[in-house]
Amino acid sequence: MGLVDQAEFHYFHFFPYTRLPPDHGERESLWVDFPNSNYDPAVGHELYNRYLQQMVLADSLGYDGLVLNEHHNTQYSMNPAPNLTAAALIPQTKSWISVFGTPPNLGYPNRLAEEYAMLDVMSGGRLKVAFPLGTGMEYWANAVNPATARARFRESIDVILRCWTDDGPQTFAGDFYTYRYLNPWPRPVQQPHPECFLVGTGSPETIELAAELGFGYSVVFIPRVAQLKVFDSYRERLAHHGHEPTPDKIAFGVFAYVAENDDLAEQEFLPHIMYFFENNLRTTARYLNPPGYVTVPEFRKRIQAADVHGTTNWDDLVAINRIVAGTPEKVADAIGGWIEEAGANRITLNLTIGDMPHWKVVKNTTLFAEEVIPRLRARKAAPKEVVA
Amino acid sequence: MTTTPVAPGSVTFDRLDLDVNGTPTVVLAAGDPAAPPVVFLHGAGTFHGWAFAEPWAAQFRVLIPHHPGFGDSGDLEGLHEVHDLVIHYVDLFDRLGLTADVRLVGFSLGGLIAARFAIEQKHRLQRLVLVAPTGLRVPGVEVDDLFTIPPEQLVGRLVHRMDTLLPHLPSDPHDVDFNVDRYRETRTAAIVLWDHPFDRVLPRWLGRVDTPTLVVWGEEDRLLPPALAPAWAELLPNATVATFPEAGHLVLDESPEASAAVAKFCAD
Repeated sequence: MGLVDQAEFHYFHFFPYTRLPPDHGERESLWVDFPNSNYDPAVGHELYNRYLQQMVLADSLGYDGLVLNEHHNTQYSMNPAPNLTAAALIPQTKSWISVFGTPPNLGYPNRLAEEYAMLDVMSGGRLKVAFPLGTGMEYWANAVNPATARARFRESIDVILRCWTDDGPQTFAGDFYTYRYLNPWPRPVQQPHPECFLVGTGSPETIELAAELGFGYSVVFIPRVAQLKVFDSYRERLAHHGHEPTPDKIAFGVFAYVAENDDLAEQEFLPHIMYFFENNLRTTARYLNPPGYVTVPEFRKRIQAADVHGTTNWDDLVAINRIVAGTPEKVADAIGGWIEEAGANRITLNLTIGDMPHWKVVKNTTLFAEEVIPRLRARKAAPKEVVA
Repeated sequence: MTTTPVAPGSVTFDRLDLDVNGTPTVVLAAGDPAAPPVVFLHGAGTFHGWAFAEPWAAQFRVLIPHHPGFGDSGDLEGLHEVHDLVIHYVDLFDRLGLTADVRLVGFSLGGLIAARFAIEQKHRLQRLVLVAPTGLRVPGVEVDDLFTIPPEQLVGRLVHRMDTLLPHLPSDPHDVDFNVDRYRETRTAAIVLWDHPFDRVLPRWLGRVDTPTLVVWGEEDRLLPPALAPAWAELLPNATVATFPEAGHLVLDESPEASAAVAKFCAD
């Protein structure tokens, strides 16, 4: 068994709202304050149905799982409540369903423990979850203080784990949450609880917490090369805390498009991936960093570093992300290389992106499943070179 | 406590370094230590200097503490609400022997802290001056949320004349140190104000404060409208309002008359 042939391919869908007004380019941000008068529910209805269909297609094509996430006040995602989407997918699918996920501090953590347990029970134990802190934008949209978000995040995870690992009724007396009878029904099928990840951007605190809890680590929004150091550090901390650093504990994203030849693939993919970076991700530094959302030293790092949101520089995009378009062989080579390089093999696949039309999504999703995954499954790990 | 001189304008401030219940606290001090004390509580930014307080040093002991999480003071661990800052100042006042006859001047965020302090500690106060204080919800007066104003607009909305602020702004708007300092101060303000920008204690308890009080406002304040002033005066049983023309939110910085009026009120 090797790293590459054992890789897991999870099909990620952002559920973007893509009917933007013609003058949207004049807006600095398409998050937080982008007026919801621009949302047409009739278009939304059509898109939800299309996206759910695409997820069901991916399931039927044999992807290991489906992945959803959560955002608020934005055209980037129509999943402010991804558990509802997960519930809609459960009766139509058989693969893993990953909710990657709801920031546990935006609502009440017992409620999230209940919802995840519901999904796990309804799906017969097919749920995986990741806990993100949520982007800065979520704190402009929700009634939670960004300056205490991290402390609240930490405590909310404690509440959820207590819900899942200890029999109720219990009491919980924290700085943010007080429970007199913590006794949520139902309990999850998977015992003690579904596989959990933390979503991180490389901060040592998040790595340490994921390692301490034995959670997986799902990396987002940092350059590919920087990720490799983060993975090493995470594996080291995981082992330190007595958990085995298996390659499936690290999840990283790949943007891929498969076509008959490399030129066609690039031609068909490019407009939509550019749409994603230019429009879906367009926001302001102020919305990314509400007061206190990051520590003061982290803020200093951030204002000195490149911003990936709304960037249109292709070299930056390729340096930060794993993006490939080409023949099945080319795409398989790239992904196989990234898996080897990362020593990690849980891939969240962005095969549908931005305003990609349905026919391209179906084409890409099908070709990847039928032509790329089998190529990777057939590969054995490259033998290590012996250095004399 | 150590004492070191601070770069002078017309008046030299000494810098006092104290440890207030674990919070490293810097207090700028000028004037005769035996003179009646004026304590100035600053607003949500410490970058615009203290020139307006220099004339006060001729007749008062002027003390300008940096709030926890602002300027040169350290962070207050476990800071949660405005009341934590009130207790911090109770402790600091005890340390500095400020038990009576204090003239407490609070500006903007510092005005809120001063008002909350006065509700509990009026026995220490001889005079209270609230300069464009924040935190009071007044029906019919619309106030923009501090955190929602984009930083590039905020600077302009602090003043009536930009040249008031220019000497205190970096030549490069992307100056890292300057922006990090502002982020830290806004973060501290957010800890105590994000959830409740309007204080729930003031309307219920300001009536206790029978200390002679002056409410000062710039007539061109585009951050907290001067229409808020009468509401403060109505809640405070012993308050008068003084407004000053051609001055914005930083009314003390822009109007020497306002600064002089504060000194006169504190001396009476």
